[in-house]
Amino acid sequence: MFFLHNLERRVTLHPSYFGRNMHELVTTKLVKDVEGTCAGDYYIIAIMDTFDVSEGRILPGSGLAEFTVGYRAVVWRPFKGEVIDAITQTVNPHGFFAQAGPLRLFISSHLMPDEIQYDASATPAQFTNNADIVIEQGTHVRVKIIGLRTEVGEMWAIGSINGDFLGCLQA
Amino acid sequence: MTKVVRLGARLRYPVTVVKLLKRHGDKIKKQEALLEYSFKWMREVGDSIGGETWQEEQTTIATWESPADGELTRWLITEGQHIVSDRGAMEVKEECSHEIQFQGLCGMCGKDMTEVNWATETRDTARAPISMVHDQTNLTVSAVQAQRTEQELQRRLLQSRKLSLVVDLDQTIIQACIDPTVGEWQKDPTNPNHESVKNIKSFQLDDGPGDLARHCSYYIKTRPGLDDFLRRISDMYELHVYTMGTRAYAQHVARVVDPDKKLFGNRVISRDENGNIFAKNLQRLFPVSTHMVAIIDDRSDVWPRNRPNLIKVSPYEFFKGIGDINSSFLPKRQDLLTSGTPTNGVGAAAPAAKKESAAKNGGGKQDAVAEAGDDPTVTKRQVEEQERAFEKQINDRPLQLLQEKLDREDEEAEKATVLSEDGSESRSSSPPAQRHRALQDDDNELEFLEKHLTALHKTYYAEYDSNRAAHRAAGNVGLSSVPDAGRILDELKSNVLKGFKIVLSGVLPRGVDIYRSEIGLQILNFGAELGSVVGRDVTHLVVNTAQPGREKLLAARRRPRVKVVGQEWLASCFSQWTAVDETPFLFAGRLAEEGEAGNGLAVSDEEEGESDTENRAPAPNGRARDLTVKIITPSGRLRTLDSVDESEDDLEPGLLPDDLPDGQSSPIDGLKSFNWGSADQELEEFLASGSSGDEDNDEEDNEDDEDEDEELADAPSINGDGTTTIAPSAATRKRKSRDEDSDSDDEAPSAAEDADATPAKRLRRTSSQHGSSLRKQYTSDEPDTASGLPTPGRSEEQDGTATQENAKKQEGEDETMDFDAVAEMEAEFDAEWEAELDKAEAEFAAEEEAERLAMGEAGSKPEGGVEGGQGAGE
Repeated sequence: MFFLHNLERRVTLHPSYFGRNMHELVTTKLVKDVEGTCAGDYYIIAIMDTFDVSEGRILPGSGLAEFTVGYRAVVWRPFKGEVIDAITQTVNPHGFFAQAGPLRLFISSHLMPDEIQYDASATPAQFTNNADIVIEQGTHVRVKIIGLRTEVGEMWAIGSINGDFLGCLQA
Repeated sequence: MTKVVRLGARLRYPVTVVKLLKRHGDKIKKQEALLEYSFKWMREVGDSIGGETWQEEQTTIATWESPADGELTRWLITEGQHIVSDRGAMEVKEECSHEIQFQGLCGMCGKDMTEVNWATETRDTARAPISMVHDQTNLTVSAVQAQRTEQELQRRLLQSRKLSLVVDLDQTIIQACIDPTVGEWQKDPTNPNHESVKNIKSFQLDDGPGDLARHCSYYIKTRPGLDDFLRRISDMYELHVYTMGTRAYAQHVARVVDPDKKLFGNRVISRDENGNIFAKNLQRLFPVSTHMVAIIDDRSDVWPRNRPNLIKVSPYEFFKGIGDINSSFLPKRQDLLTSGTPTNGVGAAAPAAKKESAAKNGGGKQDAVAEAGDDPTVTKRQVEEQERAFEKQINDRPLQLLQEKLDREDEEAEKATVLSEDGSESRSSSPPAQRHRALQDDDNELEFLEKHLTALHKTYYAEYDSNRAAHRAAGNVGLSSVPDAGRILDELKSNVLKGFKIVLSGVLPRGVDIYRSEIGLQILNFGAELGSVVGRDVTHLVVNTAQPGREKLLAARRRPRVKVVGQEWLASCFSQWTAVDETPFLFAGRLAEEGEAGNGLAVSDEEEGESDTENRAPAPNGRARDLTVKIITPSGRLRTLDSVDESEDDLEPGLLPDDLPDGQSSPIDGLKSFNWGSADQELEEFLASGSSGDEDNDEEDNEDDEDEDEELADAPSINGDGTTTIAPSAATRKRKSRDEDSDSDDEAPSAAEDADATPAKRLRRTSSQHGSSLRKQYTSDEPDTASGLPTPGRSEEQDGTATQENAKKQEGEDETMDFDAVAEMEAEFDAEWEAELDKAEAEFAAEEEAERLAMGEAGSKPEGGVEGGQGAGE
């Protein structure tokens, strides 16, 4: 789910940048540092705007200036139970991997409808029910997240296509 | 999915169950109290300050918490039961068995497996320890799941009558190279190599190691006939790629080899997913059963656990000297039999390639063989190593150098043909007619490989069918009738060289146990027997054609039944899986003219010696000679040649250590205890005393060039005097190695001067030296390369013992010295033994010496050279 989220971050600036457009530089650096990262259990997708850039404070010893910047960002937090669309990356006998933006999902063969079976003899390998559903590399799938785990800067999820309206998306 | 849950080792046994808190059919959760139990323990009570304490038995009631989630199906214990030690307490039907896990998440229920719970003794992540997917390491499965998946795979394969084939990339089906020269040759149609390289495909990797390698092109040469080979093989085998390259590299190569992804699909595993950078392991892909798997790889040492399934392929070396760009992680290969396939061996680049392989062979042990693969520092160091190797290849452009060298060699060869008409016998290989190209594409390994794979497939399914028929009769249909491909391979292989007994000579570095060496293992694998000494039942002696071991060679020549073959014979047997006809590989042809063979010996010795001091004399020499001599000495000093030979033949089988129990003692043990110091001393004395007779024998040597064949052969056995026989020859060897040490220093200046001298050229130079006189030295440090004729330094030689030392030192710089010294020594023994002849010779030589002295003072150097030749003629 996407949110507009108010956040705060400390940005340090090298003395060589001290000058008139310092605040712009601070904003640029913030965008560069933060956009597209995973902060705990959400991803920071885009920074909308910054506000409340504090006075710079010189850090003793290094000469760098530290600014505390408040900013508003679009963040994406996947939830357990959320249904998202993803693209199939690789297929193996135990299940398949799919990518939803920055999030990597694994959908195991246990979390598929029974009629969908692994077919290794097809090239490339695929999960199929021998009718309309074929999940192979590049297929778009609709997945329900059933498990999430985060580590510093990383997130993984377990998905399921066992349910109504889940699974292969017809283009 | 019921599971027996045990009480666990942490309880204070013996305990008594007081009360069961849950009933059959109840849902239980982790950490929920399931039963109460009581235990007795001793407690110290009383006044601890006053010292009046005593032990008192206490009974405590505690609860036991559930280590598992699920439904309690059955209690295995009852209330009031006395439990002495850890045992099963209940059966639980679990909701999820957590058999597939992805990055710490259960792939079946989505729960986090990394949570640690005090109630459980094992971690949930341990329930799925096996990683068996090609392109992921973080997807793990349980043993049960692995087995299930694999059985499905086997059923599918059996249905389509296929097997699995794991294919290595580098030097097995392709060779990669990052030398930018290839790209330039591709663009230049006038280059002699254009024809060879024009079909090479290339790609760039974004994640190559190091900045330099990041933007370089990888040139991929597929083995000749690869497309057809893979297409036909894929009807019988499901193909997997298993490489030590990085993932990106593997995928790019797979795309080059198989653009439609029809052959390999996504069954590609690389170093990144292997989990070990030193070894490949079939269990990584087939954790339960490898019965239906075969491997083709050019290295067997990377498959320590799966040797039976391996079909070893002779490495594909198209870019000469480049080797395997992804092998910098691996220990140096010890198993090179040749400089390529036999047809390759005669190529113009053979000397260079041989040298290369010798350098590789002699590389010795690499320290990082068995270290743990996941050690980050080791990995980092080796990534850096690879980076360095890459940069070196890009900057040094070895292929360009090779071609330049070849061109130069061609020019030299033209010159040499002119020179060799000067009368001195030059043994240069037949002069090349046109400009050689460095890259030759004449590999036919895949034909044989296809045959082997087809044979394996056929045999396998024949056996499977008969098994299945038998099982069906017994009413038992399942996977139990699946035969083991590894066993079938072994059977197929073991008939190839059955009945042969093979002795190696000069093929392995000294000190290597032949029974554990790669080549030795392979010989045994192909059904032949290995021997360490040429005994009665030996059928083949495999020699390193570049530097055959003398002793075994001589022993073999006394037995007409023993076929002396070059190592290429072994290589082609291994690759063709038949006992190849020995005739084209027979070594005897070169021995026929001993003079020439002698020259060949000295030259190649020198060549090898530069890069590799280990791999020289065949190991068991010292011992073999030792023994023979000991026996002969008491029995008859004055025996004639023939009688000695005969007696030796009679005695040998019992006396020589070929009856030693296999693999127990190294044949060089005898040398270890040898007193080198005394040998050196003896040699010094010997040289000092015999200095005057020295030149005489040389003259004789030259005179008897034709007969030398026989004399050399008999030299070790006809020297009646046992001790002196061993000492000088052994000491020579020692001195040789010492001199080679100093060579590296002494040669430094001359190496610079020789920098452009090609092996072929050196060969010619040395051979012409032999042509004039064995003992001739260069007077000046700079050999007269223009004339190609050596300049004899007679004035120094005449100066007696003092200068004799000098001459010896100089000899160290002399490239031909090794053989000279040996030949000289043996000539001298001949001389001693044939006393009468010797006397006459000495007189004759003294005269001649005087003559030469006179000539030397008056005459000019070239004349001296001619005169030397005349002396030989006389």
